[in-house]
Amino acid sequence: MNEPLDPTTSPLAIQGLTVSYGERLALLGVDFVTPPGRLSAIVGPNGAGKSTLLKAALGILPRVAGDLLVRGRPLPQPPRHIAYVPQRSSIDWDFPATALDLVLMGLYGRLRWWQPTRRRHRHWARECLARVGMEAFAGTQIGRLSGGQQQRIFLARALAQQAELLLLDEPFAGVDAATERAIIELFRAFRTQGGSVLCVHHDLATVRDYFDHLLLLDVEVVAAGPVAEVFTAANLQQTYGGRLTAAQLARLLPVTEAFRP
Amino acid sequence: MMDAWLDALTLSAGYNTRLVTLGALLLGAAAGMVGSHVLLRKRALISDAVSHATLPGLAAAFILIALVQGDGRWLPGLLLGAAASAALGLAAVQAMSRHTRLGEDSAIGAVLSVFFGLGVVLLTVIQAMPVAGQAGLSGYLVGATAGMLASEAYLLGAMALGLLVALVILRRTLLLLCFDPEHAWTQGVDLRRADAWLLGLLLAVTVVGLRVTGLILIVALTIIPPVTARFWTDRPHALLMIAAVAGALAGYLGVTLSSVHPRLPSGALVVLAAFALFLASLLIAPRRGLLAHLIDRYRFVRRVHCRQGLLALARGEAIFDPTTLRILHRLGHIRRDGLATAQGRAAARDARHEERLWTHYRHAYPEEAAQLGARRLEPISRLLPPDLIDELERRLPPEAPHE
Repeated sequence: MNEPLDPTTSPLAIQGLTVSYGERLALLGVDFVTPPGRLSAIVGPNGAGKSTLLKAALGILPRVAGDLLVRGRPLPQPPRHIAYVPQRSSIDWDFPATALDLVLMGLYGRLRWWQPTRRRHRHWARECLARVGMEAFAGTQIGRLSGGQQQRIFLARALAQQAELLLLDEPFAGVDAATERAIIELFRAFRTQGGSVLCVHHDLATVRDYFDHLLLLDVEVVAAGPVAEVFTAANLQQTYGGRLTAAQLARLLPVTEAFRP
Repeated sequence: MMDAWLDALTLSAGYNTRLVTLGALLLGAAAGMVGSHVLLRKRALISDAVSHATLPGLAAAFILIALVQGDGRWLPGLLLGAAASAALGLAAVQAMSRHTRLGEDSAIGAVLSVFFGLGVVLLTVIQAMPVAGQAGLSGYLVGATAGMLASEAYLLGAMALGLLVALVILRRTLLLLCFDPEHAWTQGVDLRRADAWLLGLLLAVTVVGLRVTGLILIVALTIIPPVTARFWTDRPHALLMIAAVAGALAGYLGVTLSSVHPRLPSGALVVLAAFALFLASLLIAPRRGLLAHLIDRYRFVRRVHCRQGLLALARGEAIFDPTTLRILHRLGHIRRDGLATAQGRAAARDARHEERLWTHYRHAYPEEAAQLGARRLEPISRLLPPDLIDELERRLPPEAPHE
């Protein structure tokens, strides 16, 4: 059913990934090849291990088993070709930092200790802020921004890193519609330049509009592949353990699909 | 006495005092910077565990040195002992919070009291020993710079300088670690090693500070300066710089004061100086100080009056509140007889438009609006990004005919 994806061209291929918290398995034997130049979503119920997958895929969380490959080679540490955007709630927003400071931190990985933060760095950071519509807020302390604005500057930090793969943990959670549109437009521009996106997503209603490729996850992989093939009633029911009602499915899927027995 | 202090302040009170003052200055700067990181990492309490855990090592080292040479006062040896037992205490805290169900705070409490208790017992043993120099040990509890030797001052100053250099080298690593550890990892920060560096620097500051502020009070020198600095800035590197200056100033003032009278414990004076700086910042710091809050409050009330008055003008209603009238008049929005000027009518239209945009935004995104609620009277262009304002403008329902 799924077109076989070549792990040797993928910016991040996950093979047999198993992660446990203590003795509770969070992920079991997950295989996923991120297609290059595509927008991919990870979808699944609470506790399915979506955030865990991102963190383990970056090497932040230790793995019980599994390999991470970048174009057929082991994932380098640190994975500089990946920009990670964590959940908004993982940060202390009272931190003494302005929006510009936060974006500049996306450049720290590449600056050695004897290199000062120069004007061109600040200029680049401002440019990234401008691309998410936030240049007027460069000097605002991050805690004084709204949730959508905080998400935007997180994205600006990721842009500043000039990565080829964006890993995002629920970037659309609790943001306003304009921000949601700004983010998706940014994704599309990024895709046009050859970048790839792998994004934990919670809103089933927008999966088909926003993404090309889909991983349905419930501790194990339920299905993975192009959205058109994978986003089916049967797969969704299996992922969510039959908790979706017929009415919900009807809203999510094209008419013919929802009523197929 | 005032003259003696002035001499000390201008570094003209003798060679030793001058050296010690410079040493304390460097120590204060290093402590302020390390403390900033520890505070931002939300581990301020751990400095308490480190400092108290130095005591048994200090005492044990004193006993050993005394057994060898009859007088236990040999600074390098004492500092080494203190560092060793502080490291042991830190390791115990780490192990307990990692491998048991205890939180770090309980682990800190346990380690702090046990180590300090052991140290006090050893101190009692020392008092009964037939050796010289026991009295000098109390200086390590509350600080005693008065009787310091030049060689000791050199050692402390050099160590503090080394700490400052290490802090400059690690500035970005530590900042990434404190702000967002997971993102820091993707930027190439080895989290375990960075945390170890941070605790190592804290340990070093504590040990260097033993002679200057004493082990009980060094905590204040790592916590008060960064808290003071937070009043003055919203930016990370500025916080470090201001904390360093506050710490250095506290060290400088405290040590010079204590040189006036040999019985004044330098640690207590350093801490009191740090507290004085904190108090001054709390009162007068712009934006975050108490005075600034009062002014903000006053401005806010004026803004509310102004907005309400303008909205009333826009609706063509009469204004009765004398404060509102006075404020509008002073801004040139109304004439003395209460009629709106041309400028006032324009401002009223703007205010009404802003209010409608805000109400629309609040209805569409209640959570977001709640986060910005405290700032809602600022111009909306300062609150929301331009594309969102465009969107609100597009979706704004047509204005109801004039009621």
